[in-house]
Amino acid sequence: MSYKCSRCKRDVTLDEYGGVRCPYCGHRVLLKERSTDIKEVDVR
Amino acid sequence: MDEDYEVEFVERGDRKALFLVRGVTPAFANGIRRTMIADVPTLAIDEVRVIENSSVMFDEQIALRLGLVPLTTPPAEFDEDDVVTLSIDVAGPATAYSGDLVSADDMVQPADQNVPIIELKDGQRLELEADAVLETGKAHAKHQGGVSVGYRHLQRVEVVGDADEFEESEPNIVRGVVEIDGELVDTAEFDNDLTQKFPGKEVAVHDVEKAFVFHVETDGSMTVEELVNRATDSIESRALELEDAVSL
Repeated sequence: MSYKCSRCKRDVTLDEYGGVRCPYCGHRVLLKERSTDIKEVDVR
Repeated sequence: MDEDYEVEFVERGDRKALFLVRGVTPAFANGIRRTMIADVPTLAIDEVRVIENSSVMFDEQIALRLGLVPLTTPPAEFDEDDVVTLSIDVAGPATAYSGDLVSADDMVQPADQNVPIIELKDGQRLELEADAVLETGKAHAKHQGGVSVGYRHLQRVEVVGDADEFEESEPNIVRGVVEIDGELVDTAEFDNDLTQKFPGKEVAVHDVEKAFVFHVETDGSMTVEELVNRATDSIESRALELEDAVSL
């Protein structure tokens, strides 16, 4: 699961023990990145 | 339809036409109108595969907008199950237009190049692939080839005498094309108001039996001529189908 720190904009990977915190700057707000999967949408 | 009928064009363009048909019943006139709207199949985007969408809009909203872009549909080239793939790749800062769509088939192109899809800011990007399918307007309005299709009874205007001297003159509004002394006259010439054309006269306006003025506009997927022809072909094939079904 990849996230992006909202303060330092670096990619962050969370592990089981670290809690929700950016390891580079300590910011606690992380943004989830959109998946790179191709999304199929029906036009309706 | 055993009696003769005639067609006279008042205005004839690729996308818009105005023509008079004489000798058809109201039922037939309405039948053609409805067929042009609902039964002539056109191509439109029906499925979208989003590779990247970092714009401010949801994928579904962009898909809906793409679906409404008219695509040129050459007659008799495609069947119901055919799929044409189009793609678009625009990076901001720019506006993604329908003209940015790249089609896998040269015959199928956006009818207009300047339909805005979305404005992209710096760092935003839209990349996707779309499948266009052939369907009729019955299934979804995006497949309507004829937009703004309608007809009016042709009206005949006759001068029946002088207006009363002290009568208050009220506007006498007619629309479209009217017949005056056997000539077709565009009502815009006299501001749609018969009292301007015949000041101080009393006029009578009557519907002309079995004469209809059609105005037909297409979304650009085909010309008006193709649309009318394919609409009548559709009526004919279904009439024959019915004939076959009821005959033993």
